[in-house]
Amino acid sequence: MGEIRTEEMLMNIGPQHPSTHGVLRVVVKVDGEIIKEADPVVGYLHRGTEKLAEDLQYTQIIPYTDRMDYLSSMVNNHAIVNAVERAMDLEVPERAEYLRIIVVELNRVMSHLVFLGTYLLDLGAMTPFLYAFADREQVVDFFNRLCGARLTYNYMRVGGVKWDTPDGWLDDVKKFVPYMRSQMGMFHELVTGNEIFLERVKGIGKFDAETALNYAMSGINLRSTGFNWDLRKNKPYSIYDRFDFNVIVGENGDCFDRYMCHMNEIMESLKIVEQALEQIPEGPVMGKVPKILRVPAGEYYSAIEGTRGELGVYIVSEGKDKPYRLKFRRPSFINLQLLPQQLKGQSMANLIAILGAVDIVLGEVDA
Amino acid sequence: MSEETKAPETKAPEATKAPEAEAAPEPVDPRIEQATERLEFLRGKVVAKFGEDVLEAAELKQFQPTITIKNQHWVEVVEFFKTEATLGFVYPELMAGTDYKDYIEVYVLLHSFTLDYDVSLKTRTPRENASIPSITPLFAGFNWEEREIFDLLGVNFPGHPDMRRIMLEDHWVGHPLRKDYVVEN
Repeated sequence: MGEIRTEEMLMNIGPQHPSTHGVLRVVVKVDGEIIKEADPVVGYLHRGTEKLAEDLQYTQIIPYTDRMDYLSSMVNNHAIVNAVERAMDLEVPERAEYLRIIVVELNRVMSHLVFLGTYLLDLGAMTPFLYAFADREQVVDFFNRLCGARLTYNYMRVGGVKWDTPDGWLDDVKKFVPYMRSQMGMFHELVTGNEIFLERVKGIGKFDAETALNYAMSGINLRSTGFNWDLRKNKPYSIYDRFDFNVIVGENGDCFDRYMCHMNEIMESLKIVEQALEQIPEGPVMGKVPKILRVPAGEYYSAIEGTRGELGVYIVSEGKDKPYRLKFRRPSFINLQLLPQQLKGQSMANLIAILGAVDIVLGEVDA
Repeated sequence: MSEETKAPETKAPEATKAPEAEAAPEPVDPRIEQATERLEFLRGKVVAKFGEDVLEAAELKQFQPTITIKNQHWVEVVEFFKTEATLGFVYPELMAGTDYKDYIEVYVLLHSFTLDYDVSLKTRTPRENASIPSITPLFAGFNWEEREIFDLLGVNFPGHPDMRRIMLEDHWVGHPLRKDYVVEN
């Protein structure tokens, strides 16, 4: 029998493919089922946020950040207002700080629930998606009551937050925390012990801490390798030093560890929300800030622990009411860089499992 | 609202005043003291290794030690910050480019787990034929950042493994983050 002729094939995954979670295109070269080379192509969602920001006053930039990582808009709001406040050395009223922590951590829970649902959907499990979204919906409703929007909140302002809580809001959140905690038990029963799921994600997409650091990774992608690095602890900002919580780290840096980190971080975030609800004082939610915000001339960088990693804002100011240059350090964009290395030698089916666990949001990749 | 956090002010708009102008206390801010110490330490390390010639400036930006390095020495100095055992700036946090009208500046923020703080390193290039040696071989995490700066600011990075546009299409004309870029409506 003669030799069977084989050749490498070039394949496009996306840009319109449900498991790329937006408009990411991955050009892969496959030899049969095995990936030889992968090249992520980004930029389909590029809106030039940084360019637009140069023509906007600082308060006007806040709604644009909502649209970057649209699964955690509150966190993005926090990044920009925190950066401007630090640059201007502004004080924020206590109540506003607590409200920020509560919404940011709820947003983290919400975003991780989307990860949980969509990741399992990618892997072929339909049911957890529905459960995760049902619970996520409750958080969306909280935010809707708080600021009138389900996804693009535009809630925070430099010097505080826009709205105080409506009647009964804090009590409802208080009831939600134990409920969500019990739901996590359900999710673990439903998913974590599942033999098929474990086979699918254990030992897949592995990398070590040194690689992660060299690739500038942050957030869960870095922590899943066992490297303890969380800006809430390592470079404390806002009032995170007042809360008792643990930094969740993985061990092996594989997809399973990243999944577990997401799950356990939900528990830690709930812990923070619970403590913040107990400590939150009465008082104003907006501090004394000038009508027109002018950041003193100079350069500033400050970062917060976003849902997906270090979310930083670099401001170059000439002392005017608009930034001269505004740069967002976008964790999704940076975390995605390792993908070609992660995919090399893997099967096509694993592509989806690996890409899903990186947990990117294309709005943030492309900005 | 019942009370203000600070003493109430008169109604006169004070928008033109710089926000820090109200309080100018005598003692030096401890954060500045600490930052100055760090800056002197890092500057000393660079000068001891390479001499004064590689430096363009060493200054504080708010509380951040910032060292500007001459373009042609960029790679060796960054490598020194990464590999020197007493410094150990191994974690690349941020890379950003800015068009200052006379020149383009690239800014890099590195973190050291040994020293437990950040350093800002900068280098400059003229706007015409803008070019800065690539540090992607040192920090893989700057691969896409350098591509983004190439794309949006038009700075070439010789030594980069894959210098292509990343955000815009390949046939795009111009570099949007340059200050003289005309936005079409």
